[in-house]
Amino acid sequence: MTVTSAPSPVPVPVPVPVVVKLTIDGRVVEVPAGTTLWEAAQRAGIDIPVLCHSARLDPVGVCRMCVVDTGARVFAAACVRPCENGMKVDTASEKVERQRRMLTRLLLADHPTPCARERTTGDCDLEALGRRYGLVDGGPDTLPAAPLPRGHGRPLDASSPVIAVDHQACILCDRCIRACDDVQSNEVIGRTGKGYAARIAFDLDAPMGRSTCVSCGECVASCPTGALTNKAVAAPIRATRDLAAVPTVCPYCGVGCAVTYYADRRENRIAFAAGRPGSGNDARLCVKGRYGFDYATHAQRLTHPLIRREAFYPKGPLSSDVRGEGQGGGRAGRAGNKPGGLVDYAEVLPAFREASWDEALDLCARRLGALRDAHGPGALAGFGSAKGSNEEAYLFQKLLRAGWGTNNVDHCTRLCHASSVAALLETIGSGAVTNVFGDVRRSDVVLCAGTNTTANHPVAASFFKQAAKAGTQIVVVDPRQPDLAQHATYYCRIRSGTDVPFYNALMHVIVAEGLYDAAYVRDHTEGFEALRAVVAQYAPEKVAPIVGLDAAFIREVAHVLGGARAMMIFWGMGISQHTHGTDNARCLIALALLTGSVGRPGTGLHPLRGQNNVQGASDAGLIPMFLPDYQSVKDETVRARFEKIWGRPIDPRPGLTVVEITRGALEGRIKGMYMMGENPFLSDPNINKVRKALAHLEFLVVQDIFLTETAEFADVVLPASSFFEKTGTYTNTDRRVQLGRPVLELPGEARCDWEIICDLSRRMGYPMDYASPAEVFAEFADLTQSYRGLTHDNLGPGGKLWPCADPVHSDGEQILFGDGFPTPSGRGRLVPAEFQHAKEMPDDEYPMVLNTGRLLEHWHTGSMTRRSVALDAIEPEPFVEMHPDDAAALGIADGQLVRVSSRRGAILLPVRLGRRQVRGAVFVPFHFREAAANVLTIDELDPFGKIPEFKFCAVKVQPAA
Amino acid sequence: MCGARGRGYNRGVSLVAELTALQEARGYLADEDLTALAERRKVPLYRLEGLVTFYPHFRRTPPPRTELALCRDASCALRGAASAAVAVREALAAEPDIAVHEVSCLGRCEIAPAAAVNGHPTCALPTEDLCAAARAPEGMPSDEPRASPSQRWSADVYAGGDTEPYALLRELRALPEQAAAARVLGTLDAAGLRGLGGAGFPTGKKWALVRAEPARPHHVICNADESEPGTFKDRVVLEEMPHLVVEAMAIAGLVAGATHATVYIRHEYGKEHRALERALGRARDLGVLGPAGAANPAGFDADVFVSPGGYILGEETALLEAMEDRRGEPRNKPPFPGTHGLRGLPTLINNVETFAWVPAILRRGAEWWKSQGVRGAAGLKLIAVSGHVERPGVYEVPMGTSVAELIALAGGVLGGRPLLAFAPGGASSNFLPAAEAGVALDFAALQKAGSMLGSGALLVVAEGTDLLGLATNVTRFFRNESCGKCVPCRVGSHKGVELLESLAAGKGGPADVALLEELNETLALTSICGLGQVALGPALSVLRRFPQTVRRAPPAGGAP
Repeated sequence: MTVTSAPSPVPVPVPVPVVVKLTIDGRVVEVPAGTTLWEAAQRAGIDIPVLCHSARLDPVGVCRMCVVDTGARVFAAACVRPCENGMKVDTASEKVERQRRMLTRLLLADHPTPCARERTTGDCDLEALGRRYGLVDGGPDTLPAAPLPRGHGRPLDASSPVIAVDHQACILCDRCIRACDDVQSNEVIGRTGKGYAARIAFDLDAPMGRSTCVSCGECVASCPTGALTNKAVAAPIRATRDLAAVPTVCPYCGVGCAVTYYADRRENRIAFAAGRPGSGNDARLCVKGRYGFDYATHAQRLTHPLIRREAFYPKGPLSSDVRGEGQGGGRAGRAGNKPGGLVDYAEVLPAFREASWDEALDLCARRLGALRDAHGPGALAGFGSAKGSNEEAYLFQKLLRAGWGTNNVDHCTRLCHASSVAALLETIGSGAVTNVFGDVRRSDVVLCAGTNTTANHPVAASFFKQAAKAGTQIVVVDPRQPDLAQHATYYCRIRSGTDVPFYNALMHVIVAEGLYDAAYVRDHTEGFEALRAVVAQYAPEKVAPIVGLDAAFIREVAHVLGGARAMMIFWGMGISQHTHGTDNARCLIALALLTGSVGRPGTGLHPLRGQNNVQGASDAGLIPMFLPDYQSVKDETVRARFEKIWGRPIDPRPGLTVVEITRGALEGRIKGMYMMGENPFLSDPNINKVRKALAHLEFLVVQDIFLTETAEFADVVLPASSFFEKTGTYTNTDRRVQLGRPVLELPGEARCDWEIICDLSRRMGYPMDYASPAEVFAEFADLTQSYRGLTHDNLGPGGKLWPCADPVHSDGEQILFGDGFPTPSGRGRLVPAEFQHAKEMPDDEYPMVLNTGRLLEHWHTGSMTRRSVALDAIEPEPFVEMHPDDAAALGIADGQLVRVSSRRGAILLPVRLGRRQVRGAVFVPFHFREAAANVLTIDELDPFGKIPEFKFCAVKVQPAA
Repeated sequence: MCGARGRGYNRGVSLVAELTALQEARGYLADEDLTALAERRKVPLYRLEGLVTFYPHFRRTPPPRTELALCRDASCALRGAASAAVAVREALAAEPDIAVHEVSCLGRCEIAPAAAVNGHPTCALPTEDLCAAARAPEGMPSDEPRASPSQRWSADVYAGGDTEPYALLRELRALPEQAAAARVLGTLDAAGLRGLGGAGFPTGKKWALVRAEPARPHHVICNADESEPGTFKDRVVLEEMPHLVVEAMAIAGLVAGATHATVYIRHEYGKEHRALERALGRARDLGVLGPAGAANPAGFDADVFVSPGGYILGEETALLEAMEDRRGEPRNKPPFPGTHGLRGLPTLINNVETFAWVPAILRRGAEWWKSQGVRGAAGLKLIAVSGHVERPGVYEVPMGTSVAELIALAGGVLGGRPLLAFAPGGASSNFLPAAEAGVALDFAALQKAGSMLGSGALLVVAEGTDLLGLATNVTRFFRNESCGKCVPCRVGSHKGVELLESLAAGKGGPADVALLEELNETLALTSICGLGQVALGPALSVLRRFPQTVRRAPPAGGAP
């Protein structure tokens, strides 16, 4: 079912390896032509000092520290000079060293020694050279004999919350420029001025904190001196040698960046983060991964089990703002006695008392057991989390399925890619990506549909942007203009909710003009005639007024997609979070199958996964209809295998999904719930309804690291482990399974989640005994095809892609389905879709379309990121984004407080004007409880994926009274 | 409709040209213009910031009514630029709509101290005249190229009118391509013509090298960005013999396999630019340039790229960077432009004067050329003479003419004063003492004497001049014009100026001279381009050969 060795259709010219022979420091060296002198010397074990050079960046040869004597009139910079046959190179003669010493002296003359890097991580490259040449601590320029005049007066720039800029320490090595430009493609930093007055600048020489900088920190990671350094986030940054370096992964998004966290063991704090080289993320990180780690050591971490006091029954919300039910839902912006934001502990905590683990868990076991005994297992339900590890997800669903006897287990994937997965399973028989995001480097066309990649998968986006620079054509489709559109060859701003007609029109052209891959369609697909009949009805000229694009433009884009040699398709919530989300995904899949864009290098279908472990949590069975590895609960053979291992019968009926469980609670059918790391109060649609449902539950146990809005409704709150305190595996959007390692000690009496689940299970009469997460993983892997063979021990530093037949020698399968699909026929199904309007169209009363989504700096309900000093400083408050012309028509100014209301509720928040919105549409990020977007959203579901329509409902905007 | 085509579209017009146009429209570059341009061209803001702050032509604030530029560099300094500047500033101090700036060499060293009023060149003396011009800039005489040459130039094979211009080009184009190339390359090799912009690379060899490169297309560039203090010979060629440059570029195109050429001209050369455009227009009228036709089978054409400013752009790879819309920072070499030039493709770059001699050599033959030199040297040379001479200007002399002979041609040392020193090859060449005035102006002889032919500019210094001050002035020029790309030049030239200023002020002593020697070695050996490599050379030549210029350091602890 897999292929990675499919012959590439691209005639890639294989460079003829010409060998060059030269002499370096008297040693004869042979290297391939094109090797630089610096690289050749490195290979020969000769270290040539550098400042501006870094193996990750293209060399520029500006610091001249690496000069060597080739016998020419002038010296050559080894980092840029290619080796030539017969060259005789002297890398360390007295004359060469004399020049390096003078260059170091020149730079030190203007250097604030010790600089900010030397004072923090203790590794300023310039000062190290200064020591090598005896120039610091009593060297010549500290003596009166003949000092070089000292330079000074270049400014500090403290405007960024996370990066300190000291222009005086800058040696203009251009490493930050290349890091920002060539690596991350954020394109913020350059040189300004000329000659001795030249320095680095952001945008049009704005202070860094007011520039377009996205705080990815790549510049800091590449700076050799104290010009760009990390500001302290959680603890003062000490010398790297005094910190513990823990190689692990990032806790945030599905890209799953490999990170090394540097922990201060004395303080039990993380000092700073660095991307790990040689990984899928190529050592890159984004602002969340690099600066958003301090939530774990926030003072509000839960450290004791909590039991709700009798006085606080009957249950209801505890926060004063949430209690204002029936008055339009959301709270009045910054009204009240607190500045908005997260749950106010002072208000909520008094409703609970601290308890021992024994008391708390016994209470949970007794109450949940009683509910099961009285109403049957179907009265219980659990939400696991895509933020937890594979091991935790596996144990959680095992507890519910085997321990309790219900399939009512789901998690937030329901809210993100359920429709994508439904469409993928239906068409190609597998819900995972068919190729990794990094393979865009081999694509000539990349379609990015409904994904704000730079905000939600920033590091993946950096690979897209890099490919665009190398000539890959990017086609961006999104009603709200994403930053990626700046890098796109085509930006298709379709009207919200018109995805199906747009993609049908593209397929119309591709089919009508014979641009599809007829051989692929013949050999590997089925349903072509049905698709042809449907798309025939969607001529660009007919579709143009619906989607809001010129017919000629649609045709041009269709020609690009149809003419692609190797196309990859990425999509995000803009595709999936609609009542026609499954149809949207069907269209993209059909487009890929039509053009033969699966199973080859540079091709593939890739729904970008949101959470760090949304892939793994789904793989591990946190889905009501599937046991681990998408094995249907309805399948008797499957059940038998699990029943044998688990020792308990499994309910053959699929369980309820997230929104159905909420509805069940509201209607009284669901009576007890176990909530592990989920906060549906903010993340689910129509939260006024969610609130009632939560209040309705007879027993709710919440296992989390903070008091969440959901915990306000809990009977018992269990203090759990953050990502940084435990061992476990996480499967990223690429299907890469990576090991997370503990960086910090658990606070107080908090426990690892896997231990809590097992303990509760034991107390409910279903003992699950494991010595370690590695043992849990082994049991899980053995019950699947996908993970079989993988163990904690063989994942290695970079993790492995599943499936991986030979974990010892292979990285796993990168490209799936080169020779057919895991469907009954072995073929991919072309499933046509017809255009349907969104469930709630704008009208006179609610004339605007609401779109919701995420911001670069924040994560979901904000419980982590709003407790990160840096992230909170960058994006501290909610806003509604609208087009300046719409605002003008309503007499609304930028920053003004407005009331946004839908048929379900209203919120108050300031306006942010921007032209990335089209007229008639507004956008509200859903992270902010004080103006919760999901007060407004509609809980209509996609009939297949059961995903709510987060991306479309009708609202009105009015100036706040 | 909301479809947008992004990067990969809208190429063609250079950013430098767009910035120039925006500046012309508003008078300066406002934030909103730059932001809109960045959006339209899909380029990051930092790139525009990098360009507009690198090139002195661009400004970010509204211009004054009159912009008065005063040259501060060597030739003008020798003719009283400093005191003229003081006088002008004093006279105009109360007039806020006149902005006075001291600027780098304007290339008008024969009217030193040179000035420019809203870009119109003039002399800064007498002060009253300059101030009057600054107050009423619209009243300045129009800046038109002269109608006929100032003298009969040997290079101009078409002077006198007995042969129609471009006859040689027509003749060569009529030959089979191989034969034409063989004739041209053979003649140039035999004549031994060397590049006259400073580096002296054999011209025939360069042309043959580009011709042999398989990558296409090839490009021809005429480097008309001479900006070194004392250097203005190319300016005279451009004004008086532009057709020779056009013809030679076309011949170079024929030989090197290029169908397009660009003249990269400094923006201060207004009337020379006009003269060149007229010559290009005339060539198009004659059918030898522009769309393909009988006299122009390959459709060879040429255009002009106006430099947004800076001496460094005369460095050929910096010039390429500017043409590619980047900061004019020289590239690491190798590779050289002959193989990897404009947009990475083979590019033939020659100086104006080098091109200008080509028609004469091809018409009259290699032997004629070789016979023109004296004292064993070959050919003729245009040399700009400035500083302390009676009649500064451009002189055509046989290669091998002595410095003393050339000074005599220029009317002798100003006011009959004794000669103190001279720099034979522009501001970047080492100063030689008067005793060396017998040296021949030739590549080899000057190198032997410890200097160089350089940019073809003789700077004459009379007795009584503060030579260390002059050397500091020259070093300051290189510091000011350093692009800042590499450490030795960016930091070293600045530290060098500070050390020299300290010496010139009577502070410091032998230890500082020794430090300057060390610094000079580092700049010479490790700088990326010629600017940094020679930045401290002239100053060191003064310190070495005129040690008496360094005043004794004050006793330790004593006040200066």
